[in-house]
Amino acid sequence: MKTSSASLREYARGITGGLLFSLPLLYTMEVWWAGFSAQPYQLLFYIAATFGLLLGYNRYAGVHEGAHWNEVLIDSVEEIGIGLVISLLMLWTLGRIDLAAMGTEEIVSKIVVESMTVAIGVSVGTAQLGGEQEQNDGGLNPRPQRSVSLRGSAVLALCGGVLIAGNVAPTEEIPMIAMEISAIHLLVIAVQSVALGMVILFFSNFKGGAGKTSWTLVILETATAYIISLLVSVFMLWFFGRLDGVHFDSALSQVIVLGFPAMLGASAGRLLIK
Amino acid sequence: MATRKTSKHGEKNPLEWTVFAVSALLVAAVLGYLLYLSFTNRITTPNLVARYYHDPSTHQPFRYRVEIENTGGATAEDVIAEAVLLKDSSELEKAELQIMFSPKQSTREGWVIFRNDPSKADSILVKIVSYKKP
Repeated sequence: MKTSSASLREYARGITGGLLFSLPLLYTMEVWWAGFSAQPYQLLFYIAATFGLLLGYNRYAGVHEGAHWNEVLIDSVEEIGIGLVISLLMLWTLGRIDLAAMGTEEIVSKIVVESMTVAIGVSVGTAQLGGEQEQNDGGLNPRPQRSVSLRGSAVLALCGGVLIAGNVAPTEEIPMIAMEISAIHLLVIAVQSVALGMVILFFSNFKGGAGKTSWTLVILETATAYIISLLVSVFMLWFFGRLDGVHFDSALSQVIVLGFPAMLGASAGRLLIK
Repeated sequence: MATRKTSKHGEKNPLEWTVFAVSALLVAAVLGYLLYLSFTNRITTPNLVARYYHDPSTHQPFRYRVEIENTGGATAEDVIAEAVLLKDSSELEKAELQIMFSPKQSTREGWVIFRNDPSKADSILVKIVSYKKP
């Protein structure tokens, strides 16, 4: 059994991670608006999606390596709980919660929308911000480089993509860029995304990056990461109401525009948060 | 359990159990509330009502505080409210108030300032002119 001070340190790391990764969102008004514009079923769906992501992340990269599903479940619930509390405190501090004028639904929705990214941040922070000593507590050997299955790396790419793309997804800038962009620029963004992903995944020698690999693997992994990035973009744009009543062309151009930060997260995030 | 590979992490101390219990409670409460909202039949359009109160300041004796409450089930964006002074059924003066968002079940407030003394008019009419879907 861990000592209380060890768990406290773990929570402190989690809280730091939660704040680090979600601070831009806590300070972004489009996210507050998304809170009160979203319908309750959308929020439920958002919580479910985040919970799924947390389960995946905790299973494949979480602080308790090789953890049993029970434990993964407990960790994930804890992270959402901590996320809710941090969002409540931060939003209240920033004057975004006013009990006298705002209805319960507005307050709860606002907190929920913010807390999901905080929860992912908490999860990543708990697992990654500790020193070697902390990360190994209870373990016998220094932490070895984990080998991750294709499914595992897909989950990590998903987390990285959500974490990075989440910072810009709710802003008005995405539809604005998408509306004004020319076809040529759009094509360049798509090519840029794939090329950047490839560089990050295979040539930059990031921690965890592959060394010498076959071209088929390069293509397979890069394509997987890009498909995941586009899916992340679609989900986030839908949640923030950017795809409502929008023509297919304009929706596609938004997805590609947001696909760039998502790809950055999916490829770099997945190497950094392993 | 002691023989299980995961047991070294599996056993939690009281602090961790407390954090988990509080978190589980919070999550259950939020889910319950959102489920309740999803399954109760509610109006799904904004429903705005404007109220006004005389609220003079030192430099603006004819200032009125306007409260806009949304009792509907959806948020309204770019709300425009109008305050009109009516005399002999014609418009004496008109003031306008714009509010960026009026979230469902919430109240927002602002002030309108008249040049003319409202007590010389027959009545004050405050109404919502328009709003849009966010």
